Amino acid sequence: MNTVLLALVAVIPIAVGAAFASLAMRWVSTSAIEGMTRQPEIAAQLFTAMLIGMALIEALCIYTLVVTLLIAQRL
Amino acid sequence: MMTFDAYSLVVVVNAAVVGIALVAAGAWLTRGGLSATQPGTRQNVGEWALQFFVDKAREMAHGEHKDKILRLVTSLLATFFLFILASNLIANIPVPIINRPPTSHFSVTLALALCAVFGTLIISTAVKGGAKTLVHLVWPNPLQWVSELTDIMSLSLRLFGNIAGEFMTVALVFMVVPWGIPLILHALGLIPAFVQALVFTLLTASFLANALHSDEKSASTESAEEADVALSAIGPTPAEGRS
Repeated sequence: MNTVLLALVAVIPIAVGAAFASLAMRWVSTSAIEGMTRQPEIAAQLFTAMLIGMALIEALCIYTLVVTLLIAQRL
Repeated sequence: MMTFDAYSLVVVVNAAVVGIALVAAGAWLTRGGLSATQPGTRQNVGEWALQFFVDKAREMAHGEHKDKILRLVTSLLATFFLFILASNLIANIPVPIINRPPTSHFSVTLALALCAVFGTLIISTAVKGGAKTLVHLVWPNPLQWVSELTDIMSLSLRLFGNIAGEFMTVALVFMVVPWGIPLILHALGLIPAFVQALVFTLLTASFLANALHSDEKSASTESAEEADVALSAIGPTPAEGRS
């Protein structure tokens, strides 16, 4: 029972984190592509800003991955 | 987690090999002298590889210490990008034991993040002086120094999580299907290898720009405002159009 509970506690955060991070990344990439198609001359700047924004979103998902890995080691 | 084992030994040896290989490549590219008027093939390759970082450093090199900023920032950014990229690409060597990328070990990424944040402080000290750098840590926001600590954490955890996660995924798939599928995953792994090296470098560059030019209006802000004006002249942004 305890192992099952620990496994759930390990798996649920990464699932929720990945789901919400993917939603946020969809928003970022959609806006960036809209901006690039409207203003192709600043596409390079927008791409850089998009990469940095995605990295910051991804960091939150990586935090849940680290928590998951730490809990998974106790299984 | 932090014990000394064979995995750590492989990682440390790989990191040392990457460092030595990069230094050797740099020495080979600059061997036999450089020419401003008649650059040879090797010099062209080296300048092509460095051009991106020179452009990046030029964005933040203005003011009275222009040459100093250009020299220090270019070398720091180029070192980070090339070391992280070469480390990430080790995962694609088709040899079972030695293909652990150094960046999939938390100690290595933590060391890189410490180098990035303290390198920022050191360059800021060399350019602006120690007093201004220390003041920047507590002014205008008295908790500004906390962001340096979170920068260390986020930089190191992001790189570690991405590369280690990708490495683990390939290893798990390899246990289930040893033929064919891992090749596709390795090919897809080339993208995060480049993107993570680029993201680490770009974030370090933005920290540097923030530390060097926080007390003045930078040229990039002005160009961003010009782009904003140009956008508003065309029409509403897509977000405004939707609402």
